[in-house]
Amino acid sequence: MTVFHFFNCAILTFGPHAVYYSATPLSEYDTLGTSVKAALVYLGTALVKLVCLATFLKVSENDSFDPYQELLKALIGFIDVAGLYFALTQLTHRNISQNHKFQAVGLGWAFADSVLHRLAPLWMGARGLEFTWDYILQGIEANANLVLSISLAALGSLMWLRKNKPKTLIPIIYACAVIVATMPSITSYLRRGLGWHLPKVVGFELFTSLVMAIISWQLFAACQRPSA
Amino acid sequence: MGPRKAGEREMLESVYSMIALVFVLVACVELCDAATVVDVYRLIQYDISGVPFGSRLAALNHHAGSLHSAPGADLSRTVLIIPVRDLDISFVKEYITQRQPLGGLLFLLPRMFSFENRDDTKSSHVNQGELLKTVVAELEQLLIHAKIPYPVYFAFEDDDIDAVLADVKRNDAIGQPATATTGGFKLVVSASEPKKLASPTITNIQGWLPGLKTDGDASQLPTIAIVASYDTFGAAPALSVGSDSNGSGIVALLEIARLFSILYSNPKTRGRYNLLFGLTSGGPYNYNGTQKWLRSFDQRLRESIDYAICLNSIGSWDNELWIHVSKPPENTYIKQIFEGFSNVAEELGFGVGLKHKKINISNPRVAWEHEQFSRLRVTAATLSELFTAPELLERTGGLVDSRHFVNETAIVKSVKLVAESLARHIYGHQGKNIQIFADDSGLAVNPSYIRSWLDLLSRTPRVAPFLSKNDPFIMALKKELEDHTNEVNVQHEVLDGMFTFYDLTKARLNIYQVASVTFDLLLLLVLGSYLIVLFSFLVITTRGLDDLISLFRRPPSRKVKTA
Repeated sequence: MTVFHFFNCAILTFGPHAVYYSATPLSEYDTLGTSVKAALVYLGTALVKLVCLATFLKVSENDSFDPYQELLKALIGFIDVAGLYFALTQLTHRNISQNHKFQAVGLGWAFADSVLHRLAPLWMGARGLEFTWDYILQGIEANANLVLSISLAALGSLMWLRKNKPKTLIPIIYACAVIVATMPSITSYLRRGLGWHLPKVVGFELFTSLVMAIISWQLFAACQRPSA
Repeated sequence: MGPRKAGEREMLESVYSMIALVFVLVACVELCDAATVVDVYRLIQYDISGVPFGSRLAALNHHAGSLHSAPGADLSRTVLIIPVRDLDISFVKEYITQRQPLGGLLFLLPRMFSFENRDDTKSSHVNQGELLKTVVAELEQLLIHAKIPYPVYFAFEDDDIDAVLADVKRNDAIGQPATATTGGFKLVVSASEPKKLASPTITNIQGWLPGLKTDGDASQLPTIAIVASYDTFGAAPALSVGSDSNGSGIVALLEIARLFSILYSNPKTRGRYNLLFGLTSGGPYNYNGTQKWLRSFDQRLRESIDYAICLNSIGSWDNELWIHVSKPPENTYIKQIFEGFSNVAEELGFGVGLKHKKINISNPRVAWEHEQFSRLRVTAATLSELFTAPELLERTGGLVDSRHFVNETAIVKSVKLVAESLARHIYGHQGKNIQIFADDSGLAVNPSYIRSWLDLLSRTPRVAPFLSKNDPFIMALKKELEDHTNEVNVQHEVLDGMFTFYDLTKARLNIYQVASVTFDLLLLLVLGSYLIVLFSFLVITTRGLDDLISLFRRPPSRKVKTA
């Protein structure tokens, strides 16, 4: 049954967000407002990125990897980081601790990303009779993206919201933030430049997102300890 | 209190209608995103005097299967894909005669039968072709004369469908026939119920070349008629191009008309005979069109016809042609005609035989076109490569009759034979060794004219009920005859009530690769457990194990609290 398949892929793509919200203390502290605001900021950021891409990028005929175009895309990708900064620092949140703020913002960010990029193809494609693995892989990608967004939000909150950080850790924090922020360019390079197939790319994304999550968790925990 | 409740109710109703709309949208599953789409051609569906024949259904929505499935398996919801190369005709015969239930049949024809594919013949191809020809001809006859209650389609082999068939065969070999629960391929043709074609028209086209009438002639000049029927009938009406039956006859008639128009254009070389060229329709249906055409003749015209030559299948012979007559061979006219033809044939280097078949007035079956003339007491003969008379709906230009099997030189030789014999009769040169239509002369037979018309005919399916009154092909024939003759008349008639036809001859087949329901259920199970594991993991890491356990324990009773 094809609507069945659509339902399966939908819960794979959007289920983890709901589970994350209800499982962690976020639900106890009612941080839904923060997540919604973060989602709206993501929408605005996406619009700005679209306009910049349309203005500065040329349309290439073939699907090859053009380094200059990719560099431009990566630079425009930093608008993402700017948007996240805005969401973390400028918006007025209710009285929530640092810990929960970045999680809520990351969750809202990832949810908006999934809905914007993955809902429409899912609706159009997964309901047809023809079966492909693409939508399941897309769902796994959405999961990896959730983890990455939360890591980026954690690193972002470390960079901009926490005033007293151990000096030694600062460069590591910035390096990790750069890696996570440029993840989209890296995946597109793998897909186009090296010609990796979708399952391989998704596996790579999953792996790196878990690694970055662990690293940012450790960094966050290290910063939480009062500096000796 | 009251108005607020009413407002709430309104909101609830609008919410319900929104949800209903969402469900409706979700239920609209699009079927237009198939991986493979193939052009398919349906088996003909027709009735003879109310008795149904052919495939009675058009819509298809079943799983694909192949001949490698386990014997005795239930195939009533399966479409069998059978490539004609590996056809086991006895299996198909058994299935059809025993009326076993089947979801549908899809026959894959090799590309050499397609008129779009024009690769040159190689010697190995020719041998293979002959064997395939007999198999496909037998299959065609079987399918035409059977009543089949499920859809039957023909398609040409190509890479996509060959890949699908290989996958299906592999699945069947493992022993895992495709059903709703085991995945596989689904073949879908969305078509409505086929409708009867009301009053199918048959169109006869005639061209008249008048002879030289000197002032002294009070009576009508004698006429010679050259006739060929141009329509076809086959298992797949959208593929019935009939290159040999009767494309070769039409082409020969047009070339003869062209040659005689050159001769008759100059009064000095115009003969003392009128020439009447007839392109008739309704050939497969006991030459119904020819009968109606003859009935429409003026009595004087009919009596002035000296004799008529009908052309039928003259495109794939080597050494011998046959002249079929219904008057006894001892008849003087027949002897004269036959002698004329055999003399010319001898000069051209091949043989012509005479075959006599008596006509039975009470039998409605008309096997040759000349029999319609003979029933109205006009002397006529049919020139053909066939030795025996074909049965009803046999050799009428079906699946096997493709361009591949027709030889232009045979048509050229036939044209030379007929034109030369007619000219010697018209100009009174019988028995003299004079070549009127010699090669390298202005009156030579033009092979490129023949080839271009033959190619056009081999791309045009010509089943009469599916040709409208003003079909471009009929207009083209009319225009061509107008170029070569003085006066062209087009006669539209309705096909005899004995035959009824149904529409829907072409369709597009969508092939979907589907996953089974068990796969979906399995996926649901996996996802459910993944989400549960994720939930537990997050609860444990952020709130602690106790919180997870407390979710499942009932809250402590009030008594304990108040105590």
